[in-house]
Amino acid sequence: MTSPVAAAPLTPTRAPAQTSVIAQTWALSVRSIQSLLRQPSLVIPSLIFPLFFAALGTSSFSRAIELPGFPAVDSYLDFALAGAIVQGILFGSTTGATALATDIENGFFDRLLASPSTRTGIIVGRMAGGMAYGAFQTLFFVLVLLPFGLTIKGGVGGVIGLMVSGTILALAIGALMSAMALITGSSEAVQGAFPLLFIALFFSSAFFPRETMSGIYGTLADLNPVSHLVEGMRDLVIEGVSASALARAILVPGVLAVISIAVSLRALRHRLGAS
Amino acid sequence: MVESALPIVADGLQRHFGSGDDIVKAVDGVDLQIQPGEIFGFLGPNGAGKSTTVRMLTTLLRPTGGTGRVAGFDIVTEADSVRRNIGVALQDAAIDPLMTGNELLRLQAVLYGFPKAQHHQRAGELLERVGLTAAGDRRVGTYSGGMRRRLDLALSLIHEPSVLFLDEPTTGLDPMSRISLWEEIRRLNNDGTTVLLTTQYLEEADQLAERIAIIDHGVIVRKGRPTELKAEVGSPTLFVTVDESSHQIATGLLAKFGDLRPSPEGSLGVGLHEGPSAVSNVVRELDDAGITVGNLELREPSLDDVFAEATGYRLEGAES
Amino acid sequence: MRTGQAVRPIDTRRTPHSAAAVGLAKRSIVNITRLPSAFLPSVIMPVFQSIAFAGTFFAIIQIPGFPTDRSINWFLPLGTLMGAGFAGIGIGFSTIRDLETGFYDRIRLTPAPRTALITGPLMAALIRAVLVTTIVIIVGLMFGARPTHGPGGVLLLYVAAAGIAALGTGWGLGLAFRFRDMRAAAIMQLTFFLLIFLTDAQTPLFIMEGWLESAASINPFTNIIRLARLGFLDAPITWNNMWGGLIAITAISALTLAFARRSLDRLSDS
Repeated sequence: MTSPVAAAPLTPTRAPAQTSVIAQTWALSVRSIQSLLRQPSLVIPSLIFPLFFAALGTSSFSRAIELPGFPAVDSYLDFALAGAIVQGILFGSTTGATALATDIENGFFDRLLASPSTRTGIIVGRMAGGMAYGAFQTLFFVLVLLPFGLTIKGGVGGVIGLMVSGTILALAIGALMSAMALITGSSEAVQGAFPLLFIALFFSSAFFPRETMSGIYGTLADLNPVSHLVEGMRDLVIEGVSASALARAILVPGVLAVISIAVSLRALRHRLGAS
Repeated sequence: MVESALPIVADGLQRHFGSGDDIVKAVDGVDLQIQPGEIFGFLGPNGAGKSTTVRMLTTLLRPTGGTGRVAGFDIVTEADSVRRNIGVALQDAAIDPLMTGNELLRLQAVLYGFPKAQHHQRAGELLERVGLTAAGDRRVGTYSGGMRRRLDLALSLIHEPSVLFLDEPTTGLDPMSRISLWEEIRRLNNDGTTVLLTTQYLEEADQLAERIAIIDHGVIVRKGRPTELKAEVGSPTLFVTVDESSHQIATGLLAKFGDLRPSPEGSLGVGLHEGPSAVSNVVRELDDAGITVGNLELREPSLDDVFAEATGYRLEGAES
Repeated sequence: MRTGQAVRPIDTRRTPHSAAAVGLAKRSIVNITRLPSAFLPSVIMPVFQSIAFAGTFFAIIQIPGFPTDRSINWFLPLGTLMGAGFAGIGIGFSTIRDLETGFYDRIRLTPAPRTALITGPLMAALIRAVLVTTIVIIVGLMFGARPTHGPGGVLLLYVAAAGIAALGTGWGLGLAFRFRDMRAAAIMQLTFFLLIFLTDAQTPLFIMEGWLESAASINPFTNIIRLARLGFLDAPITWNNMWGGLIAITAISALTLAFARRSLDRLSDS
């Protein structure tokens, strides 16, 4: 992954300034994590709903895993974990962007821009909270579901792979939503974009294998990057750590992250030019 | 006149919130007898219990003690009949911003049981009466504060109520809108409507009300005609501005001439027992004590004084 | 002061219950069309859900013994009921708004019969539920849904949807009156969501295992969903399949609407 800090050196790079970039980014990261933790009404659903659906699915689809097209799994739970993680991160990552849009609406963002903080520091700091939360969510789902019969073939390496993937996905979604916030400057628009993520999740193989889908629906799921991301993560769970699984679990959100950050920075530059 | 025929009667009306140590006695035993065709002013500082009393008399809130009769009906056991005979314009004129003025009036006509054939006509008449005919088909969200108040008044008049409750009808309005609303209230009163008006503006009460009551901490502390109440305060008030350092000595001297009264920041107030003639003596005494008088103002008793004497506050922006 | 003027003769006109209810229902319907951000999702979500579930879980119809060979037939009634439930809960939302702005005081000040303050919004919810059901059915037909028992079977879906809308209205109004702020909205949504999913929403009871099967078999919403699906499954419609759902919607609606009525009275207690 390319470092966004290095990608856009907008500030003079003298040594003291460099340390303050890190310090600022850190301060902004802490602020974004704090603001996330202060909103339990946003945090709790992003932890509970995926677990609820995984539990529901495990009980509902226990016999579906024998259907042709399903990979060999001991229980639907093993199959569902990857989808639950992605679902939780999609839920959770919008909160940071909504906070950003709110900051823009109430003028805090302009004050931040007027301060000597670096531009990228602002974006990355904003997203760091989401990334940390994405990693936490992944670990949380794994740990909660383990006592209920979850088995991860990839072992500790697999879990680390899942967490890396979840972290990058949180960055990608956070940056995408931040771009939306920077372009529109409206928290309502950011929340309005949320159903789009929901649609992306449902028209993918997050809950059932692509092999069982048919017609247009199957084609859409084939084209949907979420399918490939989920399947990469799922292979870490049900098959074990492999280059192919890691590649899909990390490259898909990685590419999405790079594109989203580029769009975000463009939108930020545009916003600076406009104001 | 038999008490039950009076338009508004309250007898030991009480409203407590909470219980035990946290009990809040918002209204703690209010008695009112309002005569037919009267404009009655109900005054009090914020949170004194004005609105709570109005909410009880208009059936929105059940009393925790005492009784009330409005338009001859009990406010608890005959709430429905009370509602049919009163008009209410509540504080802040909370009107659904998504609806148009016309739609709101027609809904109101439906809810007051007018036959369908009359809805349109009734709404049109009322819009005209409050000067909103042109805005009738616009959503209320686009109205100015003054327009909302006028629509709110129109809504409360749909059924030509004999008793009208106006809860701070002019708060936040510009002077022009306020005066036009006063005219409308007088006109309604001339047509025989009894009006209970709560207000924070003493001038409003002085202008409109034949009798007033002042409520403080949930209890009525003064009641009567404004002229009588002013006379009760009796003596004129002398306001003296002196140096901060000599406040204490000056206060002692002033107390010799009458009772000390609440005064604007930085000045001292005294009710002169011997009337205006005492002013020269006051000045001499202060002078002898070596106190420089910055400003001197003698005021005849006003409703403001009545209010200050009764509650210990002067209302912000109050003028006599 | 003009003394001697007696109180004017008391107007004895009573507000007819039906007129007041229709007036309030009309307002509710007109308002929702003026708030597209609230209205559009309530129509689009059930359509999306029906199609998305049918597409994602397409394969479950291959499980031996599955009661239909079209996944959209299985999921369309569920999507409809979700939409109908949110039509009812939406009434709760708009009532919270009225309570927060103070407009609800204006409504309470009128002599309209108190029951009309419940039945009016109820009518609006039923109309919305019928509208949503019709839209979901039309889109569903385009995506391959096929009623198996003709118009009579489809009618049962309307009945179930109306029932869910009615119980949702009672629950939504009651909670709105109790809490008077957005806390009520969160409780409405969460409880409804849990009740509708802890059923055979996704797969028939005989396919399930474990805790969900126990929960679903005692959840009355399972009966309502069964009623809603009758016209879209292969099995014949029998009284045995129907009465559980009919009793559930009648009884739960009666309970929640009574709760709303009681809570309305309690508004004047604080």
